[in-house]
Amino acid sequence: MNMLRDALPAGPGEDPVLAIDRLLSMANQIGDFFAPYPSQRRAEGIRNHLRTYWDPRMREALLAYIDAGAGGLSPHVVEGARLLRSSEPRKGYYGPPKA
Amino acid sequence: MANPIKPDRSVVTTCAYCGVGCNFKAETHQGRIVRMTPWKDGKANHGHSCIKGRFAFDYYNHADRIRKPMIRDSISEVWHEVTWEQAFDFAAQRFRRIQSRYGRQAIGGVSSSRCTNEEIFLTQKLVRAVFGNNNIDNCARICHSPTQFGLSATVGWGAASQHFDSILQADVIMVVGANPTEGHPVFGSLLKRRVRQGAKLIVLDPRQTETVRSPHVRADVHLALRPGTNVAVLDSIAHVVVREKLYNEAFVRERCEWEEFEHWAELVGSDRYAPEAIGPVAGLDPADIRRAARLYASGPNSAIYYGLGVTEHSQGSTGVMCLGNLSLACGMLGREGVGVNPLRGQGNVQGGSCLGSWPHVFSGYRFVTDDEVRGSFEAEWGVALDAEPGLRLPNMFDAALTGHFRGMFIMGEDPVQSDPNQGHTIAAMSEMECVVVQDLFLNETARYAHVFLPGSSSLEKDGTFTGAERRVNRVRKVVEPLAGLQDWEIVVGLMNAMGYKCHYDHAGQILDEIARLSPAYRGLSFELLDRVGSAQWPCDEHAPEGTEVLHRERFPRANGRGTFMLTEYVPTRERVTDQHPLLLTTGRILSQYNVGTQTRRTANSRWHSEDILEISAEDAAARGIKDGDMAWLSSRFGATQLRARISQRVNPGTVYTTFHHAETRVNVVTSDLSDWATNCPEYKVTAVEVALVKPAGFDEYGRSLDRHAGLAAPDLSTATTASHPGRQEVHA
Repeated sequence: MNMLRDALPAGPGEDPVLAIDRLLSMANQIGDFFAPYPSQRRAEGIRNHLRTYWDPRMREALLAYIDAGAGGLSPHVVEGARLLRSSEPRKGYYGPPKA
Repeated sequence: MANPIKPDRSVVTTCAYCGVGCNFKAETHQGRIVRMTPWKDGKANHGHSCIKGRFAFDYYNHADRIRKPMIRDSISEVWHEVTWEQAFDFAAQRFRRIQSRYGRQAIGGVSSSRCTNEEIFLTQKLVRAVFGNNNIDNCARICHSPTQFGLSATVGWGAASQHFDSILQADVIMVVGANPTEGHPVFGSLLKRRVRQGAKLIVLDPRQTETVRSPHVRADVHLALRPGTNVAVLDSIAHVVVREKLYNEAFVRERCEWEEFEHWAELVGSDRYAPEAIGPVAGLDPADIRRAARLYASGPNSAIYYGLGVTEHSQGSTGVMCLGNLSLACGMLGREGVGVNPLRGQGNVQGGSCLGSWPHVFSGYRFVTDDEVRGSFEAEWGVALDAEPGLRLPNMFDAALTGHFRGMFIMGEDPVQSDPNQGHTIAAMSEMECVVVQDLFLNETARYAHVFLPGSSSLEKDGTFTGAERRVNRVRKVVEPLAGLQDWEIVVGLMNAMGYKCHYDHAGQILDEIARLSPAYRGLSFELLDRVGSAQWPCDEHAPEGTEVLHRERFPRANGRGTFMLTEYVPTRERVTDQHPLLLTTGRILSQYNVGTQTRRTANSRWHSEDILEISAEDAAARGIKDGDMAWLSSRFGATQLRARISQRVNPGTVYTTFHHAETRVNVVTSDLSDWATNCPEYKVTAVEVALVKPAGFDEYGRSLDRHAGLAAPDLSTATTASHPGRQEVHA
């Protein structure tokens, strides 16, 4: 329907869309919020948040950073972000994390 | 004294100055507005008004108003006046050129809460359907985005549960991080009326605001907490509610998710949230925290009203959740006299939030990732839409600095002045290849723009606003648009120039489109509003004239139940240090509005001609500052200067100022930290130092500051910002 989508190139270069330091501090703040939940729910809460609120390029940059060693990222965030790849697609939701 | 000019025409319309949404009778004489009289049938204001709505209307006709579209090739050139068509074509070609070079995602837009629902809705349509991405945000990003997030998570909808008049049935009123007598004066008067009738008042605010103490009104408990400790204190209040079993178990069992309540009770009930533990952290007497908790829980009707003092923190969304949790636990929802109510700053912030000017949700807070919802928009608009969330406003600026974001449509906003960490914003703006600003005046942001589209004020257009109580109110055209087009017509012009054909005969047709695509607005139309005056959403077949009180029988969540979020206190990373030992918090004053673009151009400036730094006598004395001295205010982000006033309203360790005047440039100083969930900036907490300005020499940058040429900054190495990107771009 929309000619635009196919006619235009994907985007510039290989650099992450946001400076990586900025992404890491945002991700760690999200990790801090979900920290009090039991581990499965914690990971799912982080996944839902990243999936629903982050531009896909931000998610990809975070995952690439995790693949390269994840230095400075809280382990909670790493667990949650990895679910973006491994889990089934599911609808975004508000409220407590659904394990 | 009778008005010497006899008006020849009058129109009833809605004020744009704050989230109260007062109705006024606007009277004109030979096509010029001569008087604004509060309208007695206005359901939000019942004939009351404040000095902004009543008197500050002259801006619309101010000599500074831009009346012709303008373009320029680069921001170093002078503007050229052009026709509307030339301006639309210029902007369209630039936007398309950027997309062909850097990708579809390289441009975006931001809408304004000064604009109507119809204009906000059209702006997201421009971005989603014409730009072909979801890089659309609105100014609630920097004020009440945590409200949407925090209330959606707990009670289901990111909006006030009550109508304003509900407060007249409240027995206990808890005001958190808001100062309604200055920010929402007509509602503030209603609140004071109820307190004079005997309602108890709890205020959480670092300052002794007028809400805390004014003639015949005095807060029963004032928790003058240290900036940045909201979540700790609210969790501590919850701790008392849980430990002393003051919660409403029947309500929670019947209406809420009991298991989530138990998780929450375990967290806030732990010893680390005992008032004795939190008191020292927040600078409070533990006994006052206990008193506040017992008072709120005792009701029988307790109502919460809150503002940006809750949201504009790195834990802003968590703070809103605390309020949702607390009201659910105590059963203070679903009837008159109770509730959780955000006080919205601008006239149409609630509308801006409702109508899908967000990178992640369509109107009605429904996710862009939801195929079914997206399909309904695709069917109506005839194009495929992006299924992924776009960039938020702060992230657009971040992405401009990495080269991924190059063009922006800015409707009625002034991010250079209003957004935090001004140096960062300016550096980002300077990187862009096409910035289109649509505004009444050449604002600060227009310095970095390539296209200027002269917008229309709310007195020059038709549409609707949604007030803080969810009330959808008619905005009616009082005078003809000075530059010829209403704002929605400008957006339509740009859409067509970019190759997307669309046409509306009048703004009412846009509201009809909104109603078709947004469940809570389904029953709204100009016809209904002209008949009943105004209506609070949800307005649909079940509530054909709207809904005053939400959550009466169920919460708008899948299972109909309210729920609890775990709200651990995580201190902000912004800390006082030896170099920056004070905490700056910011706010507003009655006579001025936001960044002052409008009110500064009226006689209201005689009441408030400059931003003032409030400082305690103790902190002032330690720095040799006397009342009325010019003070140098610095943080790790930047520095500015303004006049100091010794004040008993702030505790030692805290300083306060407003942000109404561009020349003060308070947001040069404010922090770049933001809310974990929404990136709403942490305006309310910045570590600063204050020093006396000595009247000799030049400032540390070798230039004079604009308003006080010749006054020099003291030698403060801590104020250095020379290495900051964009520093040299600041226009003095």
